[in-house]
Amino acid sequence: MVQLIFRRLASAVLVLLLASIVIFTVISVSGDPLAELRDRQPPVPGSVIAAEEARLGLTDPLPVRYLSWLQGLVTGDFGPSTIATRDIGVELGSRVGVTLRLVILAIIIALVLSLLAGTVSALHQRRWPDLILTPSAFILLALPSFWLAVLLKQWGIAFNNATGYQTFYTVGAVSVPAPREFLPLVADIAGHMVLPTIVLALTHFATWSRYQRAAVAEGLAGDHVRFAVLKGLSRRRIVGSYVVRPALIPIVTIVALDLPVVFSGAVITETVFQWRGMGGFLLESIALRDTNAVLAWLLIAATAVVLFNLIADILYGLVDPRVRYAKS
Amino acid sequence: MGEAGAGKLAVTFGRFVRHKVGMSALCVLFVVILTAIFLPMLWPYDHAEITPDLSQSPSLAHPMGTDTLGRDLLALVLRGMQQSLLIAFSVTIIASLIGVVLGVVAGYFGSLVDATVMRAVDLVLTLPTLALAAFLGSLVAGRGVSWLGLAMVLGSLMWTSVARLVRGVVLSLRELAFVDAARVMGASSTRIMFRHLVPNVSDHIVVAGTLMFGVAILAESSLSFLGFGVQPPDTSLGLLVANAQSAVLTRPWLFYFPGLLIITIVLSVNYVGEGLREAFNPKSAPDNPLTTPRRTARSRRTGTREKQAQASQPAALLTVRDLSVRFGPQTAVKPINLEIKPGEVLALVGESGSGKSLTGLSVVGLLPTNAVGTGSVVFAGNELTDLSFEQWREYRGRRIAMILQDPSTTLNPVLTIATQFADSMRLTSAVNRTEARRRAAELMESVAIKDAQARLDQYPHQLSGGMRQRIAIALAMVHDPDLIIADEPTTALDVTVQAQVMATLAMARERTGAAMLFITHDLALVAGIADRVAVMYQGDIVEEQDVFSLFDNPRSEYTRKLLSLAPRISTDSSVERP
Repeated sequence: MVQLIFRRLASAVLVLLLASIVIFTVISVSGDPLAELRDRQPPVPGSVIAAEEARLGLTDPLPVRYLSWLQGLVTGDFGPSTIATRDIGVELGSRVGVTLRLVILAIIIALVLSLLAGTVSALHQRRWPDLILTPSAFILLALPSFWLAVLLKQWGIAFNNATGYQTFYTVGAVSVPAPREFLPLVADIAGHMVLPTIVLALTHFATWSRYQRAAVAEGLAGDHVRFAVLKGLSRRRIVGSYVVRPALIPIVTIVALDLPVVFSGAVITETVFQWRGMGGFLLESIALRDTNAVLAWLLIAATAVVLFNLIADILYGLVDPRVRYAKS
Repeated sequence: MGEAGAGKLAVTFGRFVRHKVGMSALCVLFVVILTAIFLPMLWPYDHAEITPDLSQSPSLAHPMGTDTLGRDLLALVLRGMQQSLLIAFSVTIIASLIGVVLGVVAGYFGSLVDATVMRAVDLVLTLPTLALAAFLGSLVAGRGVSWLGLAMVLGSLMWTSVARLVRGVVLSLRELAFVDAARVMGASSTRIMFRHLVPNVSDHIVVAGTLMFGVAILAESSLSFLGFGVQPPDTSLGLLVANAQSAVLTRPWLFYFPGLLIITIVLSVNYVGEGLREAFNPKSAPDNPLTTPRRTARSRRTGTREKQAQASQPAALLTVRDLSVRFGPQTAVKPINLEIKPGEVLALVGESGSGKSLTGLSVVGLLPTNAVGTGSVVFAGNELTDLSFEQWREYRGRRIAMILQDPSTTLNPVLTIATQFADSMRLTSAVNRTEARRRAAELMESVAIKDAQARLDQYPHQLSGGMRQRIAIALAMVHDPDLIIADEPTTALDVTVQAQVMATLAMARERTGAAMLFITHDLALVAGIADRVAVMYQGDIVEEQDVFSLFDNPRSEYTRKLLSLAPRISTDSSVERP
């Protein structure tokens, strides 16, 4: 098992390195961080542009730029921003936590809900709860997350206005100014998380519950379930250990594969609810043509995805003895 | 192949037409697309045209109202639909092309090519595509043909699902005979890939492409919503929603109409995809052994009649009367009668599809969901038909045990052998762990498994097929059943292991004195174990005799044929004779 984790860790680092090369190349080749400066009217003097180019290291050939960028990364330096006063590492660092808590909570809620709904749906295929759950999942799948986010936000505002009391927080990740004591701060943050988490969790709940339903349905038709029934086991034991447990393997894969999509969803959700998280940082950086900031963002997101995948691999081992024994 | 392909296509098409939800979704989609193409030509307002009616709610002149600048929302929405559909369509084409080419190349050439493509897939899957698309979108958006640029950006990020799908199927196809045949006939790699392999994946591609169209609509509108997709003065559905963010409460029409349109389009696309999936690859009715199967009313009447008849002949352990199984209009098992006395072994012999397995499943009440069974099954004086799941548990495992055909799938892959034994043992009384392990080891030794203690902590995948089947037999023996139903217990095993497993089964049965219904297609196996033999052909029992009479003097034509087709019987018996 330990050996398995180490092997996965090594391959994760490799994937990240590869990802960094590709991201760096794509971003550097396609984006011109000084486009805005060059287009400015009246024209900016050539010497200023040349100085900016030198500051951002644009004069070197691409491989050299990549290597020096990588060198900086190791020491925690994400490279210079197009805005001279902006420290990419510090700013991004303060925002990662905000996004991660949204992403992680949404994943947990969506996973739990979809495990329940998918299993119940599959156990009652084409009968009562399934006849509601399946069409609901289809509608949720078709719902653009930005539309749902705006809808919930505005309904929250309407509800607040109607009751004259702020039940829902609709702007920001935390009140400004934030409460000083610990408990009120936690309550405040939790309050701000309610609506965005619902949006993010619902969109993924739809996909995952469909997968879970398919996996459980397939499991139910399997020989080992039939054999368990023939052994005379109780419904509860069969559903728990013979249907759901083997079906956890596909869902772990799906969730791990979907993580980048969750991050994409978080960007949209944060934008609508005006959080100062990674989503806002990305959109600002794109608007500023701050290529190093976009690079840093993509790398952080890729790292998070790779880390989550590593966790998924370990979970695999826990759920599936075939993995645990085959690889060690 | 062309004719067969056309025939298959017609069948698939027929299935799709009968898929009500998929068909209506397709109609909705057609209406939407036609509206997006033709209505703008007829509609008096242009999407950029500013009318004097500012912020009007929906009326006859402006069915969807107007925005704050006085633009007609219907005209804007029509333009948005055109853009969204055009982009999504191009994205689907681009991504499918990239995906199919890379997938088929990776699957066909394998090794290094495959590894490279799959690493590229991993890489794309590691990145939040929306972020990358937003960055690239911001670059292309400013330059003229924004829809094509946007489509190329999204297409180059969305091909992974198709590539993986195609690669998977091609990997499984490339070893098949028809590919070898094409290669021997001198077809080039390109020809083999695109003339022979791709057509075989086409159904998967069509389904995946359809679903991708929906995802592409969502991706495009998300990008436009964020401001990195379609740029004003042009518009798209996502951009319209973005502009209406603060108008939800004051001018709701601006927000709801474009949003509901996106939902309608994506929902119909997904349902069309679902319909196509089922048309290409129809699923049988969902199988759920945890429910009580349906039976017809007739069976109940015969059931009660049988109960009275049963009293007069108490000798039989299992009596099957007028048992039949139908799938819709098709009869799989004609009304048949069987009887097994305590301790007797009845072999049910027949070719595959003769209905012998269905007969076995009927006896334990586990017919497939779409099958309808009739008739009565009386076990030890009790009618078994129409029992609920809980009532069945009084019999299953305790008094009637069953052994299934394929030992690689009958055991739970994620539980240890010890746990699977303990599960069975706990049925009748609370058993502690040590006691359960002791008894499990004992049972495993009784089916000739060496080193039973160590095996207890292993998982099924660590054991050989023969060993798994012997464990399945041991599991069936936990409660000393009165009746064992063995459904082709050795068919999935190779011949040397077959003999061992048969011997184990015979031993286990003799030790407990259980009766057995032994289902097989192999007459050679019957000779060694059965007391009586019933021969099944096309859902009917054509002959039933004791085993010696059957071999010496078969009455039905079909049995004679079966015997002549099994030369091993004569050699087997000649070997045994001395």
